[in-house]
Amino acid sequence: MAAEFGQLSPAGAGAPGATGVMGAFEPPKSLEEKEAQSFSRRVMSWYGIIAFLALWQIGPWLGLFDARFIPPFSEVLKDGWILIRTGEFFIHVATSAQRALLGLFGAIAVGVPCGVCLAGFFPRVTRFLNPLLSLLGSINPFALFPLFILLFGVGEVAKFAIIFWSALFPVLNFTIYGVVNVEPILVKAARSMGADRGQIFWKVILPGSIPSIFTGFKMGATVAFLFLIAAEMLSATAGMGYMIHNASVNNYIPRIYLGVLGIALMGMGMSVLINRLEGLLMSYKEEAAAS
Amino acid sequence: MTLDRTRDALTQLFYRGGSIVLFVLLWQLACSAGLAPETFVASPVVIVETLWSYILDGSLYRHSVVSLSRAFYGFILAVAVAVPLGFMLGGWFKSFERIMGPLLTFLGQFNPFALFSVFLLLFGIGEVSKVAMIFWVAIWPVLFNAALGVRTVDPLHVKLARSMGMGRIRLLWKIVIPSSASFLFSGLRLAAATAFFMLIPAEMMGASRGLGWLIINAQVNYQIPKLYTGTLVIVVFGLLIDLLFKLLEKKVVVWKEAKVL
Repeated sequence: MAAEFGQLSPAGAGAPGATGVMGAFEPPKSLEEKEAQSFSRRVMSWYGIIAFLALWQIGPWLGLFDARFIPPFSEVLKDGWILIRTGEFFIHVATSAQRALLGLFGAIAVGVPCGVCLAGFFPRVTRFLNPLLSLLGSINPFALFPLFILLFGVGEVAKFAIIFWSALFPVLNFTIYGVVNVEPILVKAARSMGADRGQIFWKVILPGSIPSIFTGFKMGATVAFLFLIAAEMLSATAGMGYMIHNASVNNYIPRIYLGVLGIALMGMGMSVLINRLEGLLMSYKEEAAAS
Repeated sequence: MTLDRTRDALTQLFYRGGSIVLFVLLWQLACSAGLAPETFVASPVVIVETLWSYILDGSLYRHSVVSLSRAFYGFILAVAVAVPLGFMLGGWFKSFERIMGPLLTFLGQFNPFALFSVFLLLFGIGEVSKVAMIFWVAIWPVLFNAALGVRTVDPLHVKLARSMGMGRIRLLWKIVIPSSASFLFSGLRLAAATAFFMLIPAEMMGASRGLGWLIINAQVNYQIPKLYTGTLVIVVFGLLIDLLFKLLEKKVVVWKEAKVL
């Protein structure tokens, strides 16, 4: 188990930080544990969050911290309500979501076909290119920020380029990793049963590498959100990063916290979405287990 | 026989470094041939020259020491908090995990850049806010991996040890920590990488020294070779840190191989 975990990430797959920063807490569940997950337990899982919010709310009142710097939760909600009523909040969310998705889809559209073709049809070339790809993936995209701005200016193109670049390497490297590490027995079995190359590719290699490809999607999405906010803080006129930056420049404290919460929720929504999609595509796994 | 072995070694070397060498060569050729505009792209030779001059005048050493010590403080603080918390989360106290797990997952989703504004607000623009940001990003990998490691400890081992009358402290020391060590180490490795990763933007946003400052200063002054040199140094440091932790894991977790046999 431990060894598997170590192998999970191909060397230098994109930003190493991003997984850790926003890596979801997913305890491995055994069968009994799943069965035992009753209603009371699900309620219990909210206790921590509720207690946290309650502490946040009454902290200034208790004198634990200064309300000027950490305004109570209700103030943050109030500000959120104002922004929702004026519709400004949706503009920021939509702008950010659009940028993140555009960059991510760009990275997927380039990374997955490239990775599958490289690893599926040119294994030697892939082996040759692998060190270079992981080196490029391990370049800190922040270090490249100034370069991107020099090359693409400060407009939408630069933001797209930053998000695209940072999401591309996790997607590409995990795709290659998945295709290369398809169970050789499955490929041999298919071949011995007379499957041709196309059949092996579509029926064995592609489904076999989907879990890894989806890991790449998840890492890419995390990284895309991370850099989206950074890019929007540098220069933008709308978006969640801009909202926080603007609030911070104008010293409007509740809105900073609103932005922090909003981005966290957006990131969580994104990972839920990808997990759902993976569940849909991976339905064959359960079928196999049932039969 | 020896010929075969040399050939194997050469092939290995070719596959390991060939693409990088080729990339650098093409880059240099493109620069020399004038295909890449000099205003945007510095050639490898110029980068190495710049790097050499930085090494000679000692500025590379100065900036690196500042950056690495910031990353180090954030990392050490994160480990000191996250390892005990992760062990508690992983099963030392079941109800603690059930209550705190979702909250910590939620907190782990907080974007470090978004929080940077908060840290600036709380700690000012000095060293503390940078260390706080590094602390914040380094804590999650350690925490979640420590929890995962504890959860994968073989219950049989724990029961066996307990039935032989082992106390809680010794159980932790003799069973739990050794069996979760490889998870712990991958958490540490990830955290160290993350700490160094986040250091750069933290230094870009407000500092007067350090590698991140070097890059942002180069950009503001439009010194392209300096920009590339800074990027190269950061990449090398990132790789070295990764290597260091891999070696450390091999040295410390000696019992891992025995399991495979």
